Amino acid sequence: MAEIRDITDYAAKDAWSRRKFLQATGLVAASLAAGPIIEACGGGTSGGTSNTGGPYKVPKARAGAKVQLLQWNSFVKAADDEFKRQAAEFSQANSCTVTIQTVSGDDLIAKTPAAVEAGSGPDIIQMEYGWPHLYEQACIDVTADVNYLKGKLGAIHQVNDAFCKVGDAYRAIPHTQVPNAWSYRTDMWQQAGLSKFPTTWDELASNGKQLSDKKLGQIAVSLGHAYGDAITMWYPVLWDFGGREATADGKTVTINSKETLAAVNWAINTWNSNSIAQNTLSWLDPDNNQAYHSGLISATLNGASIYLKEKNINKKYIDVTDNAAQPGGPKGLSTLNLIFNHAVMKWSQEQETARAFLLYAMEHDNYSKWMSVAGGYDAGPYAAFTNDPVWGTDPKLKPFHDVVPNGKWPAWPAVPSKATAQSQVQFIIVDMFAKAVTSKDAKGSIADAEQKLKRIYEKPS
Amino acid sequence: MSTATLPKIAAEPKRRPLHVRLLNREAPLGYTLLVPTMLMLLVFLAFPFLWGIWLSVTDAQIGVDQTKFIGGANFLYERGDTVFIQSFWNTINYTLVTTVFKLVLGLSMALLLNQVFPFQRFVRAALLLPWIIPSVLSTLAWRWMFDPTFSVLNWVLVHPLHSVGVNWLGTTNTALASLMVVNIWRGVPFYGISFLAGLQVIPVDLYEAARVDGANRWQQFREITLPLLRPVLMVVLMLSTILTFADFQLPYVLTKGAPYNSTNVLSTWAFNIGVPGGDIGIGAAISLVLFPILAIAIAGVLLSLRSKD
Repeated sequence: MAEIRDITDYAAKDAWSRRKFLQATGLVAASLAAGPIIEACGGGTSGGTSNTGGPYKVPKARAGAKVQLLQWNSFVKAADDEFKRQAAEFSQANSCTVTIQTVSGDDLIAKTPAAVEAGSGPDIIQMEYGWPHLYEQACIDVTADVNYLKGKLGAIHQVNDAFCKVGDAYRAIPHTQVPNAWSYRTDMWQQAGLSKFPTTWDELASNGKQLSDKKLGQIAVSLGHAYGDAITMWYPVLWDFGGREATADGKTVTINSKETLAAVNWAINTWNSNSIAQNTLSWLDPDNNQAYHSGLISATLNGASIYLKEKNINKKYIDVTDNAAQPGGPKGLSTLNLIFNHAVMKWSQEQETARAFLLYAMEHDNYSKWMSVAGGYDAGPYAAFTNDPVWGTDPKLKPFHDVVPNGKWPAWPAVPSKATAQSQVQFIIVDMFAKAVTSKDAKGSIADAEQKLKRIYEKPS
Repeated sequence: MSTATLPKIAAEPKRRPLHVRLLNREAPLGYTLLVPTMLMLLVFLAFPFLWGIWLSVTDAQIGVDQTKFIGGANFLYERGDTVFIQSFWNTINYTLVTTVFKLVLGLSMALLLNQVFPFQRFVRAALLLPWIIPSVLSTLAWRWMFDPTFSVLNWVLVHPLHSVGVNWLGTTNTALASLMVVNIWRGVPFYGISFLAGLQVIPVDLYEAARVDGANRWQQFREITLPLLRPVLMVVLMLSTILTFADFQLPYVLTKGAPYNSTNVLSTWAFNIGVPGGDIGIGAAISLVLFPILAIAIAGVLLSLRSKD
């Protein structure tokens, strides 16, 4: 098997590159020279280099400009409302109009390529996962703005960085992560004689069996084509047993390994022993939320929306709901979180106003306010937000904070690319597990996934 | 000698402008009136279709400006795609099974609705509901009905019938069948109402004469109803086959191709590859695969209708 490099290898290499050195020195200059972002949005030069190589000039909104931003309806409406409020505030202060259009996650998946293909549409589009790599030519280079933000807010989380940076240029401004952790019913855990949430996948399977044997709610996770919940579960399972879909350079498929076999066998055994619910093969993203709020399952992997809805709206199971970080496996402990970033599109006639708004939204106080309203559903992509006050508001939110550092991206360690994006949207890894648990043929399922991955990664250009 | 007064020759009428002369003739006027429709068809039908054909023979990718002609490479590439092959056969199964059921149920529905009974108009209108409701909404309702934990269908199976619930969308054996059930539910009213319209123009005299001759109900149906309904039947069958082959909303909303691609049909797989996957050229090739088969089938139906006329 080809050598698999850890993410830290990239970080180390990046840190010593000439380009990185130049960027870093530029950033130091920028951070010394620049005032608060909100002031900067009013104009001025803050040091560093621009996207075209000249001195960096902080973008300024043009009076009368109209900018439209397209993003998903997050599962926390209050956070969307706060973002819209900030857009209105920015619009008023700069005599322009920034409108936020929110659509479902599925609609965003359809609308974004349609706009890119047509070469027209919203000025800013929220990029899910590795879209900046898919739509590189449609997104403007925002390297200077990202460097400017790094100077203000510190290092970027490795996943946002990997998704936003295409080659040497940033094609999107890092925006957020939706941390995924387990929400579970403490009352059912107690009735099953269990004291705490498991910390390994094997323990999770045995706990699930105990819950199931006592006819309590089952542990349930999607094995269907859910763009969020299915991949956030099954990629980490693969990684934690040591499986990888491709090498770090993305040139060689490595899914057919004894490590992958161990992961798939774990899934088959867990399924066979009835340790996890067996009705989830076509679950989409809202299904586990509905099942939990209806009291039908004992645990599921999700963003904090389940917990927040119980806490703020349903209140039915809030006293018996707790959260826990991902379990780990014999080869590590990983998390896959939903990742969203913002790209300014090339067809926009108001690129500078669009960039100015995104910088405004990322300004420390504004972003922190937004995180506070989101109540722990969203985590910041810059170091300055790692220990944001929102994480101290409720001890039950701690797992959502703790899973962020272990975050990886779909197809990790393969560098995000068109191939990784395609393997993700085809649900090849999820389907490998789904096929294995129903057919009981671990090797056949892996071979099937290998054949599909090779068609993507080794496709002649 | 009397002088005869010659009648005054009327002044030659002024020659009318060309466009007026043209419009006064039936054929040019007809073609002129057709122009807006033809333009609409060109813009909204011919152009997307031809564009789709062009994309299918290029290496086009969403968001990439450079595109080059690659001939049939996309079609050849898809030959090795197991999901494509599965989607192809799913599409064939899905269309054949649902069409047969829709035909039989639609015809039965039309025959029943053609009878006189209380609240006849209300019932006719109510039976059209599945066709009227936006597909996405009704499919979402079906998704709830198929949900293994909340399913009203399972409740009926478990409680009144003392049976076991079915994991409708969660197994490869039942998922595609469940999709077919929804498609049939949605499509039967279209068949029913179209057949009803056809039934109502069959002269009653024919049935009366048949009864006088001693024909029973089955003979009347076979010798009068079916032959006279044939043109409507063929057209409905053709339209329904095309729509079912291209059905996207229903499988996409219900399962998105899960469990592990067992419910992917060509339209959903083409979308998956072409839109979120970015390979719009390959996506176009996948969606065009059935075009020759459909074209032959439609030509056959149209020729058959013409020959009988």
